[in-house]
Amino acid sequence: MTAILTNPLRVGLRQERVIPPQCLVIFGASGDLTHRKLVPALFELHRQRRLPSEFAVLGCARRPWSDDDFRQRMGEALAAEIAEHPTAWEHFSQGLFYEPVDLQQSDHLVRLAGRLDALDRLRATRGNRTFYLSVSPEFYGSGCRALAGAGLLADPERSRVVIEKPFGRDYGSAQALNKVVQACAKESQVFRIDHYLGKETVQNILVLRFANTIFEPLWNRNYISSIQITAAETVGVEERAGYYETAGALRDMVQNHLTQILALTAMEPPGRFDPEAIRNEKAKVLQAAHLANEEEAWKCCVRGQYSAGGTKEHPLPGYRGEPGVNPNSTTETYVAMKLFINNWRWQGVPFYLRTGKRLPKRLSEVVLTFREAPVHLFDAAGGAPTANQLILRIQPDEGAEIKFEVKAPGSGMRSRPVDMGFSYDESFGEPSDEGYVRLLADAMLGDTTLFTRSDEVEAAWRLYTPLLKLIEDSPWQIPVHPYEARTWGPGASDNLLAEDGLIWRRP
Amino acid sequence: MSAQLTLLAPLQIPPPEVVPYLGQLWHDGLDGASGAATFTLLVWEPSWLEQQLVRVGQVDGPITGLDRPDVLSSARDLVGSLGLPPSTAPMDPGLSWILGQQPGHHEAQDLRGQFVDSAISAHMPRRLITLAPTLDDAKPLETLVAAYCPLPDEGGAGAACGDVVVLRGSLGALREAIPMVQPLVRDDLPCWVWWNSSLDEPIEVLEALATGPRRLVIDTSRGQPARCLEVLVNRINTGQAVNDFNWLRLRSWRESLAMVFDPPSRRDALQHVVQLDIDVEGDHPVKGLLLAAWMADRLGWHLESSRPVIQDGVIAGIAAEFQRTDGETVRFRLMPVPVGVPKAHPGAIVGLRLICQPQQRPPLCVILCSESGGCMRLEAGGMAAMELAEEVVPLPEESEEKEMARLLGGGHDSTNPLLASAAPLAASLLPEAVAAQGFARS
Repeated sequence: MTAILTNPLRVGLRQERVIPPQCLVIFGASGDLTHRKLVPALFELHRQRRLPSEFAVLGCARRPWSDDDFRQRMGEALAAEIAEHPTAWEHFSQGLFYEPVDLQQSDHLVRLAGRLDALDRLRATRGNRTFYLSVSPEFYGSGCRALAGAGLLADPERSRVVIEKPFGRDYGSAQALNKVVQACAKESQVFRIDHYLGKETVQNILVLRFANTIFEPLWNRNYISSIQITAAETVGVEERAGYYETAGALRDMVQNHLTQILALTAMEPPGRFDPEAIRNEKAKVLQAAHLANEEEAWKCCVRGQYSAGGTKEHPLPGYRGEPGVNPNSTTETYVAMKLFINNWRWQGVPFYLRTGKRLPKRLSEVVLTFREAPVHLFDAAGGAPTANQLILRIQPDEGAEIKFEVKAPGSGMRSRPVDMGFSYDESFGEPSDEGYVRLLADAMLGDTTLFTRSDEVEAAWRLYTPLLKLIEDSPWQIPVHPYEARTWGPGASDNLLAEDGLIWRRP
Repeated sequence: MSAQLTLLAPLQIPPPEVVPYLGQLWHDGLDGASGAATFTLLVWEPSWLEQQLVRVGQVDGPITGLDRPDVLSSARDLVGSLGLPPSTAPMDPGLSWILGQQPGHHEAQDLRGQFVDSAISAHMPRRLITLAPTLDDAKPLETLVAAYCPLPDEGGAGAACGDVVVLRGSLGALREAIPMVQPLVRDDLPCWVWWNSSLDEPIEVLEALATGPRRLVIDTSRGQPARCLEVLVNRINTGQAVNDFNWLRLRSWRESLAMVFDPPSRRDALQHVVQLDIDVEGDHPVKGLLLAAWMADRLGWHLESSRPVIQDGVIAGIAAEFQRTDGETVRFRLMPVPVGVPKAHPGAIVGLRLICQPQQRPPLCVILCSESGGCMRLEAGGMAAMELAEEVVPLPEESEEKEMARLLGGGHDSTNPLLASAAPLAASLLPEAVAAQGFARS
């Protein structure tokens, strides 16, 4: 492969959506997310000249750090980037500050308010504030209450709160948390983050569907026979055993990321490109979605857990052998399920969702399989014509692909399938921003389009409630099938599709 | 959103009492309200065209200083009847000068500075100072002051307010009043200076207003081209943050051209550009020069020479040669073309043609045209024999207030480095003869 020249005319042009002056307050600033994702994303925004000079980051956590401690720690985490851009870091780091804060202590909030006022004067941040709750989920509600109690969310135009996932553990807890949050702030101030929505290719689903006329007329039950949504990971549980043991694949991936992709794939066209119009349509389609068999959820859902695998040279432990995992754990690391959407567009079209850890490839994609031609006029090279498919590749090798039949060369009239592809790399040749770059910028711009609204979150939890209840009340009915690490999940998940005469795409 | 008036009629108070009055107002006059910790916006707002059109009875008052569609359409209508070339843009300072020679004594209420576009008031300026010179040479200085509190949507917290100060009078009276502006600008907040007029106007006023760390906003489409570029370059060289509306209006051209070369397969062609042609409306070359200079800077071209294009004994355009990084020559031409309905600002880009001759590949011709201008002139000359990439550049016409609001929204508090690099090159591209005589007007 030849090296790709950068486009010199592209340099410096990405300045259209600039972030207004403000202070970003990160609670949980001593945690992983801050130095791994948030501050690197902010530094990237700074390098793209999308942060104004009237900007400050105030890290808050219980640790008694100083401003300089915070700058130094963030600097250590970003050492490689700083080596490349030392001047940019020097400028950016002047806007990093730290305040020891325990959100449960009211006097700390008073001190925090004073510090923010001082930063407004020092950095001319105009009283605009975005509060990022990068704290343990059990503190989301109390964190919002504390901010509201201190009057820090009182101005709906100038204050916002960003809440990380998971938003609740089930329908009931999500409802309860929404009530608390909504008592503290208006919905327009609340940014529930799902980093999958920050991916360029996830956003491209909207553009592909609603900026073209060639797809949308086919985007319905008349032409599409089934849809598969896959999010496969090659990694195991890594250092997240503590969290993952209480969550599993269903809560970790399906309820949020896969469901958001489902919503974007299946939603009706919004009347305009407006956050509320889009979120209305997403909420509506999720409210119309249901498990293929809610009464007997075990018939439309398969759970799995990876067992040891790999090679003799590179053995991979099974999930139960991972550090921090209960040796008798029944937490699923793989889940596949079948859903339907009860509306005019999708009635009768099955949606198959699957996600898993320790699968053979890291990839996320949406596969729309079209109905067969009504009459087969030609012999197919493969015995039968392959159904047309539109594949939206979310990661890696981002792009889209259409599979269709063409005449095989030769004197006969035999058909064979070919692919027609679009690749982001080939067309644009620039790496897209990391999801947090986009989402942080949007939150600070007050653009809620890529954030999940309260009714969306509740609808997503409600969708899986029969399954969660089944797992909780009678887990024996929905067993966890073992699958060897680096295979495509348990055989039972193939059966889920085989019943409908289908197979999972093997990408 | 429609423009907003201040909630209360501004109070006219004697100039020496303005500063003490404002101090007292914020100290004990505005019960419970706090001053917005935002910025000061200082506007030089002559609105000569609007004032002249009102005076000759072509548009109704009040005089607001805002971009008004009726002012633009009326100006367009008058171009022909005043004997100006059809390509004269409504915002061409020459139009208001010629209007000034016409008879008329209509009067209207002058609300400049009190009529705040909602896009700007949404950013809650802490202080909005407007200097509004009048047509009447004998008009003494008037100072008007008002506090305002934007109505927060659906309640919200305690109102953050600002104040409006208007200094109105003859040009001479305003010049004398400039020393009283300084104490009105708060030291603790950023200050934007919006020169909402031609750059041909008295430079000492601009220099007195746009001092030190204040952020200057100008429009290099308004004024003599050489003067516009001189002001731009000088200001950038002082290290001041400068924003140029003329440059900002080029954004869709820059974006469209960059888009053509986004596919990696096209990028090599950028190393092999041999010719660049830019067509502009009317007789104002600055926008076209800025576009060419941006490209030259991005592609590492070195300017070799620049000269006027003489046709039939008159200056018909600008020609230049650049040297590419590999030593090859790039020929550049900027030509004014006549248009029936010009854009609001002089010198809008009509089209761009870029010819690349990569080695061992067919030549590539990129043609970008404005929505209103056809590509035909640029397509002529056998371009169809090359690999052709043509795009129509969308040109949304936004009001100056919206552009200003975008700047105030953040991210424009320093000079854009692309502009900082392009401006001196654009100035070098302007031949002295063109600077002195201009193009033959069409």
